[in-house]
Amino acid sequence: MKKTFLLIPLLLGASLARAQAPAAAPPAAPPAAPVAITDADVKNVEAPKPDVRLKGDPDGALTGTVSDIAVGDAKKGLTIADMANQIGQNKIAINFTWTLIAGFLVMFMQAGFAIVETGLCRAKNANHTMMMNFMVYGTGLLAYWLIGFAIQMGGVGGVGNLGGAPPLNTEFTISLFGKTLGMFGQHGLFLTQGGTYDVAVMVVFLFQMVFMDTALTIVTGSAAERWKFAAFLVSSFVLGAFTYPLFANWAWGGGWLATLGTNFGLGKGYCDFAGSGVVHAVGGLTALALAIIVGPRLGKYNRNGKPNAIIGHDIVLVLTGCFILAFGWFGFNPGSTLGASGNGNLRIGSIAVNTMLAGMAGGFSAMFYMWMRYGKPDASMSGNGLLAGLVAITAPSGFVNTVGAVCIGLIAGVLVCLSVEFVDRVMKVDDPVGAISVHGTNGLWGVISVGLFADGKSNYGGSWNGVTGSVTGLFYGDASQLVAQLIGVSTLIGVVFVMSFVFNLAIDAVVGQRVSAKAEMDGLDLPEMGQLGYPEFELKARPAGASVA
Amino acid sequence: MVLLGILVTFLGFLISFLSLGMTSSASGRLVMVLIGLAVSLTGIIGVINRAFIKNANWRK
Repeated sequence: MKKTFLLIPLLLGASLARAQAPAAAPPAAPPAAPVAITDADVKNVEAPKPDVRLKGDPDGALTGTVSDIAVGDAKKGLTIADMANQIGQNKIAINFTWTLIAGFLVMFMQAGFAIVETGLCRAKNANHTMMMNFMVYGTGLLAYWLIGFAIQMGGVGGVGNLGGAPPLNTEFTISLFGKTLGMFGQHGLFLTQGGTYDVAVMVVFLFQMVFMDTALTIVTGSAAERWKFAAFLVSSFVLGAFTYPLFANWAWGGGWLATLGTNFGLGKGYCDFAGSGVVHAVGGLTALALAIIVGPRLGKYNRNGKPNAIIGHDIVLVLTGCFILAFGWFGFNPGSTLGASGNGNLRIGSIAVNTMLAGMAGGFSAMFYMWMRYGKPDASMSGNGLLAGLVAITAPSGFVNTVGAVCIGLIAGVLVCLSVEFVDRVMKVDDPVGAISVHGTNGLWGVISVGLFADGKSNYGGSWNGVTGSVTGLFYGDASQLVAQLIGVSTLIGVVFVMSFVFNLAIDAVVGQRVSAKAEMDGLDLPEMGQLGYPEFELKARPAGASVA
Repeated sequence: MVLLGILVTFLGFLISFLSLGMTSSASGRLVMVLIGLAVSLTGIIGVINRAFIKNANWRK
């Protein structure tokens, strides 16, 4: 009897174990003989009759049929070649549409940057700050169209997801250490030179242009409330025409950083999926160079060097802007696949989830850091934490899993708080919106994090930067990828910062970067723009009897 | 001082870049790149920024 009781659970366990084990595979059926499809077969496919279509198509079953396939030769009728061409064009059309819509989302981020920066500045500079963010779009666009795009992408050598873009095929190279190193592209001036009047080139241009403009608009934040408008225009033009495109070429345009893998065996070369380094660190380091040159706002530091907080005028604008930016980031990162169809591009879902997770992880960690350190969950730093998480995940978004994304975001949120304190108190550099810390520090962190957290599971067509396999970081077994990333960081700090610093020193000598002390005290709206951002608000804020015009 | 800072910052990059030609081991390159980064950061924070702080408006 006792033995029977012991046997029952054993049998139950065994049957449960059988239930959870995978079912034995049925014997494989013999492979079906391939069926040859001929032109005659496709001719027999019936299209809906016109009189049926005249009655409408409420369930959509009759719209989009064989009759919508373009026929190459009317005499032959529909052929398999026509169908194959249609499939190819559908793939490229999906990728064009995806990339363009993602680009439109990134363009809308300009509005987010504009109101974040304006909200973090004082009301007396609202018009000036908004105008900088507004005109940086056009200034950057013209600079990029004239020469920047050619420098960046003129030698990329084809963009498979967008049908090739073959005219972008001429890169200026040098030979060093026995290797060929790409320096800058040479096709694409005015989007006509070198055969670049091409539909795929136009899509590449639009998408890359809005990325470039994001870098430019970062700079307006660090120099806000004391930057001369004329100097801003010149500085932005130079950044959009030369500094940004040069580094972007090295990373994305087939330049020497991208080929660190093929030339020197360093992982898959410098990997920056959507631009933590190319966009944000370039913008953030230029912001640092400019903030050093223009100097702090009047009243920011006491004579003993102790910093004073200069509070922005509208936290509602700031957090609304952060939401707009978080929305636009769904174009920034998933759009950087440059396609939704083919070459592993279905990973766009993973990239989008990584983006939202890292962003909010950054928001949380910044909020809790400020709460623990200062006793309140600071709103503007929570917003900056969100942006820091988004900036940091931009480079690794295509290469990491969700756990990695959350770790990267959590670190970014704390890092932005520490960096703001360091820049403000130790370096004594005045950055009204935290652009240096959000974009510079966390842009560099994002680049490094690829070399740590890339899990080797992404597969975009079997290779990256010409090296077979998936991008794999130190935590998943490839230390050389981290070295490639650090060389990118060193290039950003040692070359991009220096270029931006020298260019802006020259502009300071010729145009003058900083407004007069009187203009700064009055607010830049009237002296620089001739119009107040909030005339009625300003009237109430001024002492009785003071004139506003 | 500012010119010196620019040179030091760029020198840091050169150290990192030269690691590509001087050694083929990942750890060797890593050490050189980290030294390069330290040099560049010294150039920015220790030299360039310090030169500007000396003449900052809040000291006057």
